[in-house]
Amino acid sequence: MRRSWPWWAALVLLSALAFGLGSYQNDVYRKLLLWITLALGYNFLFGIAGQVAFSHFSFYGLGAYSVVIGITYLGWPLPLALLASMVFCVAVAWAVAYPSTRLEGFYLALATLAFAQLFIVVLNEGGQITGGTGGLANYRLPDVGGYRIQGPAYTVVIVALMLFTFAVLWRLDRSHFGRACRAARDNPEAAAAMGVDVRRTRILAYTITSTLAGLAGMVYAFVDNTVNPSIFGLENVFLLLFMIIIGGIGRAAGAVVGAVLLFLLPFVLSPWIGHHHALVFGWVMVLVVLFQPKGLMGLWDQAQHWGRKQSPQPAVQGPTHG
Amino acid sequence: MNDFFELVVGATASGCIYGLVALSYLLITRPTGIINFAVGEWAMMAAFAGVVMLNDWNWPYPVGMAIMVVMMFALGWLTERLTVRPLVEKGAPPLAPILSLLGMLVVFRESISIGFGPDPQPVPAAFGFGRLELGWLAGSYQSFFTIALTLTVFAAAWFFFERTLHGKSFEAVAIDRRAAAWMGIHLGRVTAISFAMGAVVAGVAGVLAAPNVSAHYLMGMPLAIQGFTALVIGGVGRVEGALLGGLILAFVEQMTVRYAPVPPGLAMGVPLLLLILFLLVRPKGLLTAREGRT
Repeated sequence: MRRSWPWWAALVLLSALAFGLGSYQNDVYRKLLLWITLALGYNFLFGIAGQVAFSHFSFYGLGAYSVVIGITYLGWPLPLALLASMVFCVAVAWAVAYPSTRLEGFYLALATLAFAQLFIVVLNEGGQITGGTGGLANYRLPDVGGYRIQGPAYTVVIVALMLFTFAVLWRLDRSHFGRACRAARDNPEAAAAMGVDVRRTRILAYTITSTLAGLAGMVYAFVDNTVNPSIFGLENVFLLLFMIIIGGIGRAAGAVVGAVLLFLLPFVLSPWIGHHHALVFGWVMVLVVLFQPKGLMGLWDQAQHWGRKQSPQPAVQGPTHG
Repeated sequence: MNDFFELVVGATASGCIYGLVALSYLLITRPTGIINFAVGEWAMMAAFAGVVMLNDWNWPYPVGMAIMVVMMFALGWLTERLTVRPLVEKGAPPLAPILSLLGMLVVFRESISIGFGPDPQPVPAAFGFGRLELGWLAGSYQSFFTIALTLTVFAAAWFFFERTLHGKSFEAVAIDRRAAAWMGIHLGRVTAISFAMGAVVAGVAGVLAAPNVSAHYLMGMPLAIQGFTALVIGGVGRVEGALLGGLILAFVEQMTVRYAPVPPGLAMGVPLLLLILFLLVRPKGLLTAREGRT
């Protein structure tokens, strides 16, 4: 990467924040970072590659479960378990993508929805290996080089994960591959005519983003030191979808804004509405789709546009956003 | 052997419910191309209408059913008017209505969860919880009632599409929207009616399913998934496909639970495998749409 200093600066700043927070705030901060990581990946898959997939949280769960099963049930050392989980995630993602990207439109949504539900069934019925409905607990992150990573130090790992995901997707978005993804989303026939292998692009986009979700899952496994089926169900996929749509679909900044907002809103709203924030999210989602399809980032654009109009330069006549 | 025939009646009844949910999807997706995942929530809301009218207020069953139908018609109409029509008129991408309907799905579910609490609530069966034996075929009253009512609904849907001019106009929109509009068919009205009828059919499924599973704010999603599995099996092209798909799904499901040597939890995965299999091998379903006649 040619200019890597902004990434290092972000790593230092976001990590420094972790050391200033108490243990409860650290926990909230870690989960916020993980949601941002997931939203970034989902934004690429859904917003940029245009694939309506409901399987993102399944891969998050696949990563988390496979690394835990690796270190406990199989008794592998941590690096081997991480590597094996990674390979496993890639293999499953490819196995799902290869047949299902042949399906047009909403059939992909149905196939991934079925996969997501099937994953939960397997987790619930996995007996000793997956711990059934109760999931797995009573494990912890093995020491790395004789040092036990915990507290704010582990938050640094998550900051690095988030920035790594961001950097990978940022580069991809601006590469030939990113343009191929957008082309395949907007007009597959035209993209194919321009020499884009649409099928291959779709498979790659699905496999990469799903594997990144799996990687986030591996890190998540040691945040609460427990994994159970209810975390990886459909509810959270919906929340993820709401995040990127409310934030502004197809834009990394939108995914970050949406994730931060929807993750933190329940904390702010709970004194008034208790646990019913999902109702608010549902309405906001409907209103955004109806009136501001570009999400909060679209509002931001409009605000900037409006700011320019106020300035003395002659305003350009043309269609406004939204 | 008796056990087997009892299973047949039970499976047919559940298959009918899946078929109704599939029909609800089909009524909406045929003319509009929109997959409305909220049909499960419509069924759930109708089940709660059943709780209030049939259980709490003890109204007679036909009265409750009639009011439920009117309510669901209005709900479907309003859903289309408020969350789909503005997007279609703006020329939004085809994904937009699906997303706004997903938002409505959450709104419907959370509203019911606030209004009725998280506990399951009873809905009475049409003729009580008796048992009927017709020769070898035996099952609960509710099973036979479900089968009879479903056949009526499907017969009505078939009659509408095959024998009435309005039904033909739906079919025309399904085949070619633009050509249909040029022929003077009011696209907005067709869309609105398809949503309203979809909601009514989903509502009937909800009220029929509720006595067995109890009305619960989370009952929608499983119904929605079983419904579209049935739709994928049967194919979106034909009304009969929805019923056929529902029956196949229910029989596979119940036969696995009853006879296959797998734990019942894993048997829940069988319909999902069936869905994946059909998507991969025959995504157009068993029954394909008729070719447009020249």
